Amino acid sequence: MSYLEYTVKSVPSGWRKVLYLNWPLVLLLSAVACVGFLMLYSVAGGTFQPWAEPQMRRYVLGLAAMFMVAMVPIWFWRNMALLAYLGTFALLIFVEFFGSVGMGAQRWIDLGFIRLQPSELMKIAMIMLLAAYYDWLPLRKTSHPFWVLVPVLIILAPTAFVLIQPDLGTALLLVMAGGLLMFVAGVHWAYFATVIAAGVGGIYTVFLSRGTEWQLLKDYQFRRIDTFLDPSSDPLGAGYHITQAKIAMGSGGWTGKGFMQGTQSRLNFLPEKHTDFIFNTLAEEFGFIGGVSLLILYVLVLLFCIFSALQNRDRFSSLLTLGIGLTFFLFFAVNMSMVMGLAPVVGVPLPLVSYGGSAMLVLMVAFGLVQSAHIHRPR
Amino acid sequence: MIRTPLRPLARILEARERGENPDAIERENLRLRHEEMRDRLRQRAESRLLVMAVMFFCGFLVVGARMGVLAASEASEPRAYAGGASIRASRSDIVDRQGRLLATNMSTHSLYAHPHQMIDPTRAARELAQIFPDLKEADLIEDFTGKRKFLWVKRKISPEQMQQVHDIGEPGLLFGPREMRLYPNGRLAAHVLGGARFGREGVNAAELVGTAGIEKHLDELLRDPARGGAPLELSIDLSVQAVAEEVMEGGMKLLNAKGAASVLMDVHTGEIISIVSLPDFDPNDRPRPPVTGRQSDSPIFNRAVQGVYELGSTFKIFAAAQAMELGLAAPETMIDANPPFVVGGHRIGEFHNKNYGDLTLEEVIINSSNRGTGRVALQIGKERQQQFLRSLGLFDPVPLEMVEARGGQPLLPRDWTDLSTVTISYGHGLSTTPLHLAAAYAALGNGGRAVRPTLLRQSAPQQGARVMSERTARNALDMLRKVVTEGTASMGDVPGYSVGGKTGTADKPKENGGGYYEDKVIATFASVFPTNNPRYALVVTLDEPVETSGSEPRRTAGWTAVPVASTLISRIAPLLGLRPEVEQGQAERVLRVSSQ
Repeated sequence: MSYLEYTVKSVPSGWRKVLYLNWPLVLLLSAVACVGFLMLYSVAGGTFQPWAEPQMRRYVLGLAAMFMVAMVPIWFWRNMALLAYLGTFALLIFVEFFGSVGMGAQRWIDLGFIRLQPSELMKIAMIMLLAAYYDWLPLRKTSHPFWVLVPVLIILAPTAFVLIQPDLGTALLLVMAGGLLMFVAGVHWAYFATVIAAGVGGIYTVFLSRGTEWQLLKDYQFRRIDTFLDPSSDPLGAGYHITQAKIAMGSGGWTGKGFMQGTQSRLNFLPEKHTDFIFNTLAEEFGFIGGVSLLILYVLVLLFCIFSALQNRDRFSSLLTLGIGLTFFLFFAVNMSMVMGLAPVVGVPLPLVSYGGSAMLVLMVAFGLVQSAHIHRPR
Repeated sequence: MIRTPLRPLARILEARERGENPDAIERENLRLRHEEMRDRLRQRAESRLLVMAVMFFCGFLVVGARMGVLAASEASEPRAYAGGASIRASRSDIVDRQGRLLATNMSTHSLYAHPHQMIDPTRAARELAQIFPDLKEADLIEDFTGKRKFLWVKRKISPEQMQQVHDIGEPGLLFGPREMRLYPNGRLAAHVLGGARFGREGVNAAELVGTAGIEKHLDELLRDPARGGAPLELSIDLSVQAVAEEVMEGGMKLLNAKGAASVLMDVHTGEIISIVSLPDFDPNDRPRPPVTGRQSDSPIFNRAVQGVYELGSTFKIFAAAQAMELGLAAPETMIDANPPFVVGGHRIGEFHNKNYGDLTLEEVIINSSNRGTGRVALQIGKERQQQFLRSLGLFDPVPLEMVEARGGQPLLPRDWTDLSTVTISYGHGLSTTPLHLAAAYAALGNGGRAVRPTLLRQSAPQQGARVMSERTARNALDMLRKVVTEGTASMGDVPGYSVGGKTGTADKPKENGGGYYEDKVIATFASVFPTNNPRYALVVTLDEPVETSGSEPRRTAGWTAVPVASTLISRIAPLLGLRPEVEQGQAERVLRVSSQ
C-alpha cells in the first residue's frame, strides 16, 4: 500500500507527532552513545578532551537533526530520494577532485564546522533511493532482469567512486547493504545465488593461481591475505593492529580490568583506539560482560527497527526502516569482526560509539528517517 | 500464471439479467486480486525477513562466541618468528654433592632495536651511549637510521640498565627475556664447570650451550627437557673444593710455582671430591684461548686433567707393588742398589749422587732409590710392566665427564726398551696427568681394584677389575706410610690422619726437546689417607716450585708438594668427616710435637 492510498487524516500532526515517536529506539540509541562517551573519556586518560566532549556535542546535534527529520512526513523524504542520491553522488565526484586528504585517502569536504564525508551520506541516500525504487516498481517486475539491473547500477556507481578514494570498508558496506535490501525487496533468489557462487569461484581461482605463472594477485597482496589469516605471522608489521587488539580482548577476560584500567589502549599499544578499535578498549576494561552488553544494545536497536518495519504497511517506509537497520547491523558486524580478527582490517567505525562526526550525524539523520516512517505510518 | 478474468462473461451475463451493474463485479475482482497480490508480497517479504533474521542471529552468535573465545584466551605477547620459537632455553642447574648450587640460570634481558619504529633515533642513541659506555653514539645513530629493521644492541643487560633504557621511552627499543648461565661461586671449581655461551639466539630466548668442562660434556643431558629441571648432582664438595683451592693457591704463591694442581678422590667410589688447577678463571666470564704463548700456561688449561707430566718417583710404588704381587720380592727382600747400574749405555744415578748400598724393597721406596727400583723393574720385565700399568689406567685418557679429559692422553715412549722399563719405573719417560696418578693410587687404597674417576655423585663403591691382591695393596700402603714417617715425605704427616704417600720430583723436559732443565721441576706428592682404613687418594702437583727459606733453593717434592699436601689434608679431613685417630706408639710424638 502506497501512501497515496491511505488517509492522511489518521496520521498525527503538529506537536502530537512527538508522542508518536519510537521512544524506546531513542533511548536505546542514547544508551549506545553513552557507552561511546564513557569509552572516549577512558581512552583519553580520564578527561573529556579531546574526544568525549566534542562527541557529546555532536550527539546532541545529531539528536536534534533526528527530531527535525522525524517531524517531516515520510512521503516528503520519498519524493526527495532521487534528489538526495544525485546530490550525494555529485558530492562524491566533487571530493574525488577537490576534497582534502585525510589518513591517506581523499574523503572529506571541509564545510568549516564539520568535515563532510559524502561516502557516509551515500549509504543513506542509496538506501532511500532503493526503497523508493522498489516502492515505485510494480511488484511483478521485481525480478525482471532489466529491473534488476537498474538497482545494481544504483549501487555500483557510487561504490566505484568510493573504491577510488580508496575506502574499501565503505565500498564493501555499500555493496552489502544494497544487496541485502534487494534481497528483502523480493528479487528472485537465483540472482543472489549466482553472485555468491561467482564470488566464491573467483576467490577460489585467485588462490588457485598462486604460485603459477598466471597468478592474479601480486605477491605482496597474497602476503596481506596470509597476514589476515594468521596475524601472528607478522605481529609487528601488517598484523600489528589485530594482534594488539586481540591482546586487549584477551587481557580483559570475563569481567575486565575495570574502568580506566585498560593498559593496551591507554599505553598506546592499540592503534586507532578512539575510532575503529574502540571496542577493544571496552572489552579490555569491561571484559566479556561489557562486550556482550553492548552487543545486546545493538540487537535491541535492530529488533526495534525490524518490528517497526513489520508494523508498517507502506512499502517505502518498511524498506527504508529495514535498510537503515541493515546498514546499522553491517556497520557493527563488520567492525566487531574486524577488531576480533574475524575479518580483515578495513576501517569501519563502530556505530555511535567510535569517535567521528559525520558518521554519527549521518546515522542520527538515518534514524530520523526511521522515526518519520514510524510516526507517519498508515493506521 | 493463470489469471482469473476481471470480467468473467458468465457472471456479467448473470448480473445483467438481474439488472445489476457489471462494473461492480470488475471492481470486486480487482480488489480480490490486489489482496491476493498483497498477501503474496507479504508472504514473500516475511520469508525474506526470516532469512535475514537468521543471518542476523548467526552474525550476533559468531560475534558473541568470538568475544567469549577471546575473553577466555590467555593474553600473551605475540611471538615474533625469528626462528626463536623452537629454542629451548632451559638448562639444568648443577649442584655439588650436598645440593649447593654450582651453576644456575638467571633471567636477564637482551636489548634489541626496531629502527623503523623509532620516534627519535638520535636521542635514543645518545641516551643509550650514556647508559652503556662501551657503545658509540655515532655507530648507534648510523644503525638506527639505516635500513635494517632489526638489530641487537646488547645481549645481556642488568635490571638497572633495563630500567634506564625503559626510561628513555623509545618504542623502537625492545627487550627480550634471556636466560643467562650464572656461576654463583665465581672461580670455585671453574675448570670442572667450564662455562656456557649463547647458542642460537632469538628475540625471546637464546640457547645456552656448554663451552667446556662438564657443561660441554653433558650438554645434551643438561638441556634435556625430560629432566624436568632436576639439577645435576656432582661428586664435588663445595667446601672441600674451596679449601683445596685456597691452600693450593697459597702454596703456589709461597713456593713461587707457576702452576698447581690437585686431585682428591674417593678410593672406593671413584668420586672426585675436589679437583684444582691453578691458575684458574671465572667461568662467568670465561677467557678466550690464548693466541700466543703455550696453551698449557693459560688459565683455561686444566693441569689436573689435561696436563701430562712426568710424575717422577711417585711411580716407584707401582714397581714395588707389582714385584710383591708377582712374588718376586717381599717388603724385606734385599735389593741391590749399588752403582754402577748401566742400562742401554745409560748410567742410572741417584738423587744427589747418594749411594744406598743394599736396601730392602721397603727401604728402596722409603729412600726413593732409582737404582733399586730399576733393578726390580728389570726383574718384572717389559711386558708385565706394561700390562700392569695399563690395568691401572695409565696408558689411556681418563674417561672423566669433562671434554678436557680426552686431551689427557699419556705420553708413552715410542720404543719401549729396557732403559724405558727402568726409567718408567721411577717415573720418567711416561707422562700422565695428576688425575691418572690419583686413580692409580686409589687402586692401592681400595684393596687392589682399578677405579674409574667420575665427577658425578655415586651411591655405591665401584667394583672394578682386580689389579693386585689385597695383601699386596696392604703392603704397598704400609710402605707409603713409612715414606711419610721415616722417608722423603716426613713433612707430610698429619697427626691423627695417618697419611701415606710417595714424593716425586721430576726434572722438566725442555719444550723443544733435548734433555731436561737443571732448575725446573714438577714436584708431586701422591698420597692415600688414612692408611689404616683408606678413604681418599690425594695428588698434589706443583709446577716449577722453589723453596727459598734455606741457604740454597730447594725444589724437591719433600720440601714443596709435601707440605702443601699436609696442610691440605689437615684442613680438609675434618670437612670430609674423618676423625683423627691416634696410632699406637705415636701418642708420644703427637704430644712432643704439640709441646714444641
